[in-house]
Amino acid sequence: MKNGKQNQSHTVTDLKDTAKQTIQTNRYERKNTNKVWDFFCSVKLAVVIILIMVVACILGTVILQEKTLDEYTAKYGYGLATFFRITQLSNVFHSYWFSFLLVLLCANLICCTIKRWKNTFLQTGFILTHLSLVLILIGGVIKFQLGVKGGVNVYEGKSVNYFLTQLINRQGKMDYIKKDLPFSIALDDFILEKNEPKFQLVSYVKSKDRQKVLDVKLGKKQRVTGSDYRVTIKDYIPDAELHQEPINTSDEPENPAIYVMLMGSDRVAAEGWLLAYDRNYYEDRKQNLRIEYIWLPSREELDKAIVSVGTAQAKLSAAISGQGSFQDYPLELNKVFKIQGTEYTIRMLQYVLNYGDRRPLSEQPPDNPAIQVEVNGPEGPETRWVFEKFPDWDKMHPSKYKNVKLTCNGIASTHMVKNTVRIFHSPDGKQIIAFIKDRRIVETIPWELGKNYTVGDINCQVAITNYFPSFDFKKEVIKKSDEIGIPAILVEVDGPRGKVEDWLFSNNRYATWYPDNNFALVYESTGESIKHFTSKLRIVEDGQTVLEKTIRVNDPLKYKGYVIYQSSYDPEAGSFSGLQIVKDPGIPVVYAGFGALCFGVIFIFYVKPFLRKKPKKETEE
Amino acid sequence: MSLINITLIIYIITSVAYIAREVWRSTAAKWISLGLFILAFCFNLTWLIVRSIKAGHPPFSNLYESLVFYACCTALVYIVFEFIYNFRIVGALASVLAMLILLYATLQDPSIRPIMPALKSNWMLAHVITYMLGYGAFGISFITSCIFLAVKPFAKNRKRNEGEKGNEILLINFDKLSYKLVAFGFPFLTLGMVTGAVWAKKAWGDYWSWDPKETWSLITWLAYLAYLHTPLILPKMNISKSKASVILAFWLLISFGIVNFTFVGLNYLPSAADSEHIYGSK
Ligand code: HEM
Repeated sequence: MKNGKQNQSHTVTDLKDTAKQTIQTNRYERKNTNKVWDFFCSVKLAVVIILIMVVACILGTVILQEKTLDEYTAKYGYGLATFFRITQLSNVFHSYWFSFLLVLLCANLICCTIKRWKNTFLQTGFILTHLSLVLILIGGVIKFQLGVKGGVNVYEGKSVNYFLTQLINRQGKMDYIKKDLPFSIALDDFILEKNEPKFQLVSYVKSKDRQKVLDVKLGKKQRVTGSDYRVTIKDYIPDAELHQEPINTSDEPENPAIYVMLMGSDRVAAEGWLLAYDRNYYEDRKQNLRIEYIWLPSREELDKAIVSVGTAQAKLSAAISGQGSFQDYPLELNKVFKIQGTEYTIRMLQYVLNYGDRRPLSEQPPDNPAIQVEVNGPEGPETRWVFEKFPDWDKMHPSKYKNVKLTCNGIASTHMVKNTVRIFHSPDGKQIIAFIKDRRIVETIPWELGKNYTVGDINCQVAITNYFPSFDFKKEVIKKSDEIGIPAILVEVDGPRGKVEDWLFSNNRYATWYPDNNFALVYESTGESIKHFTSKLRIVEDGQTVLEKTIRVNDPLKYKGYVIYQSSYDPEAGSFSGLQIVKDPGIPVVYAGFGALCFGVIFIFYVKPFLRKKPKKETEE
Repeated sequence: MSLINITLIIYIITSVAYIAREVWRSTAAKWISLGLFILAFCFNLTWLIVRSIKAGHPPFSNLYESLVFYACCTALVYIVFEFIYNFRIVGALASVLAMLILLYATLQDPSIRPIMPALKSNWMLAHVITYMLGYGAFGISFITSCIFLAVKPFAKNRKRNEGEKGNEILLINFDKLSYKLVAFGFPFLTLGMVTGAVWAKKAWGDYWSWDPKETWSLITWLAYLAYLHTPLILPKMNISKSKASVILAFWLLISFGIVNFTFVGLNYLPSAADSEHIYGSK
C-alpha cells in the first residue's frame, strides 16, 4: 500500500496523477463515510463493471440475439435454447441483469462525481465525461420506455396511418404490433435512381487459381501479375453488337457444317446451320422432331453408325484429380454413388435442360443442360451445378472439393423426341439420311445437296442446301450507339502460345480462354447498383396536408416527434417504398450527453495537460 | 509498379533505416529514417487522394480502401509522436505495422464499387477519420507495449540506472509512452463513436441498435476505458509497480487485438449476417 502510494509520483499521466489525490482524500474521509458509499465511489467497482460489460457485449454478439425460439432450437438444440431464454442470453442488451449493470454504472458515475466534485476549472473534463455518460444512459432509458421504432411499406399513390413494430413475445415467437399514427402519410411518388452500370475486366490464371481485376485502358499493355500473360485492350465500343457471317475457310473437313431447311406445308418452318463439332442438332418441340448432323471420320464407321440407334445415354462422369480416370454414372436422381477407390460419394439432386429457366422441364429448350450434384467427402456435403456445355465451370468457380472433377453428357438427348432425322456424313462423300421413330430406324436414303426429303409420316420435308467442310464465322463487331449499352472490348492476349485477339462482350457470362486453357478473361458488369431512392411524402392530418417533403436515406422527415426514414424499396417492381418510423423523446438528452462527452474527453486529454504543464514537470523531477 | 507496391517497399526500407539508426547513432541517420517514414506516408496518402478522385467518393467505402487509410493513419500518428518524443526503435516496428496493414489491404477485392446511399454523409467522414486516427494511436501503443514487455526482463533494476541516463531509462519509459498514445487516441475513439451514433441516427433512424459492429466498437472503447482507469486502483491493491505495468502492457496487447477484430474480424461472428455495417465478404 505504502509502496504503491510512493511510486505514484513516478507516473506522469493525467488519470494517475489524480489517483494520488484520491488516496489522500480517502484518508481524510475514512472515518465518517460508510462502506456502501465508498463502494459506489470506487474505481475498482468502475473497472469491474466495465469488464463485466465487455464480457456481456461479447456474449451478446457471439450468441444470436432476438431470434424466435424455433430458430434457437434449430441452431443450438433445445437444452441450450432454453438456457439462453431463462438467462436472457438471447436478448442480452435488454435483459434485467444488463439493465442492472447499467444502473450500477450510473450509480458509480454519479457517486464518484459527487465525491470528487470541486469547483475548479481543471475538474471540468472529469465532471463532464462522467455526467455525460449518465445523460446518455438516461436518454437510453427514455427511448426504451417511451420510444417506438417500426416500419411500413407504402404503395405509390396510397397512404397509411399506422406502422408495425416487431417483438419477440414470451413464447419466443415473433409478434407484429400495429401502432397507430396521429396522422397519415401519403406516398405521392417513389423514384429509384440507378448508377450508370460499370464494367470490369477480370482475369483468371488457372494454375495459380488467382483472379485479378485489370484496368480497362485503351492501348496499354499490362502484365497480369504473377504470370507471363500480357493483356492489351485494343478497342472499346460502348454499345456493341456481334454480326457473324458464316464462311468456309478450306476444303478440308476441319469443321464440317450443313445448312438445313425444314419445310412445312406452305412455308419454311426452320432453317439454320448444324455444326458437326458444335451445335449439331435442332429440335422442334411442336412437331416432336429432332434433326441431328453426324460427321463420321470414315465410311466404315458410318456404315456401323447407321444401323445402331443408340441414342446417347444421360450420364455423369466423375474423377478425382490425380487418381485414375473418369467413371460414369447413369442419371438417376437421389441415388448415392460412391466414386470407386475414394472416400467421395455423389448424389444427383435435380437436372434441368436450360439452367436458369424457370419454366417446367418439358418446356425448356435444351440450351444449357445441367445437373445439380451433391458431393460428399471428408469436409461434409457440398452441392454444385455441373454443366454439360461448360465442363470448365467449376474451375472458374472454385469449390470446397476442387479435386473432384465432374462432367455430364447426353442430358438433352434423354428428352428424346419421337421422331429423329439423322444426317450422316463422312469425308469420302458417303452421305445418308436416316429417319428414326420411337427408337427404331424406319428408313435410310442417301442424300444430296438441294433436294427435298419427306421423312416418315410427319408432314414436312427436310432439305440440305449447303455444306461447308471448314465452317467459320467472319466476326464483325458493329457499334450500335454511343450510349452505354452492351460494351465490348477487343483484347489481345500475349502468352506462351503467342498473341491472340478476341472481342469480349459484357453480356457474355462465360469466360474466354486463351489457347493453353490456363488463362481466361471475363468482361462483366459489376452489377447494377442503386444510387438513390427517394419518396415524395405528404403528411395529412384531419384531411389537410400539413407537410410535404421528399425523403431519402440520410434525409428524413420529422413531424410531431416522429421521424420518417427512407429505409428500403420493393426490389422487384419498385412500386412500394419502405419507411422506417421512429419516435424517440430521449434524443435531446442523449445528444446533450454526446456533446458533453466529446467536450469532456477533449478537455481531459488535450486541454488539461497543457494547463498543468508546470506542476507536472515538478513531479517528474 | 503500382503506387501501393512502392509504398510497401518504402515502409520496408524505413524499417531497415530505423534499425540502422540504432547502430549508427547520428543526427543524419535520425533524419534519414524519419524522412523515409514521411515519404512512405506521403505515398500512402497520394494513393488515397488518387483513389478518391478516381472513385468519386472518399477513400473508405470498402474494406480495401479503409485498410489503406488505416495504414496511413498509423503512419501519421507515429510521425507526429516522433516529433514530440524520442522514439527510437519504435519506428522500425511502426513501419512494419503500417506495411502489414497495407499488405493485408492488397489481399482484398480492390474494385471500385458505387457507394451505397447510406454512406453518403459528412458524419460518416468525421466518423471514419476520427476512428482511424484512434486506431492508429492504439497500433503504435501496441508496439510500445510489445517493446516494453520485451525489454522488461533485461531492465529489472530501473531505480539504479535512473541516475546514469543510459539506455535503460529510455527503454523502460515505454509504458508511459503507451499511456500517452492511448491518451492521444482515446478522445478520437470517443469522437468516432459519437459521430458514428449521430450518423446511424440520421441514416438508419437509431443512434444505437446493438448491432455487432456497434457492440464491438463499444467493447473496444470499454477496453481502453478500463486501461485508463486501472492505474487509479492498482496502487491501492497489493500489486507492485512493476507488475502493474506488465499487466497494463498486456491489457494493451489484448485491446489492440479487439480493435482489429472490430475492424476486420466481425465476419466470423454468427450474428454477422444481420449486421448492416460489416464490410461484406462479397
Ligand atoms: C469517457 C469516459 C471517461 C473518462 C474520460 C473518464 C475520466 C476520468 C478521470 C479523468 C478521472 C479522474 C478524476 C479525478 O480524480 O480528477 C476518473 C475517475 C473515475 N472514473 Fe472515470 N472516466 C470515464 C468514464 C467512466 C466510467 C464509465 C466509469 C464507471 C462507472 C468511471 C468511473 C470513475 C471512477 C469511479 C473514478 C474515480 C473517482 C474518484 O477519484 O473517486 N469513469 N475518470
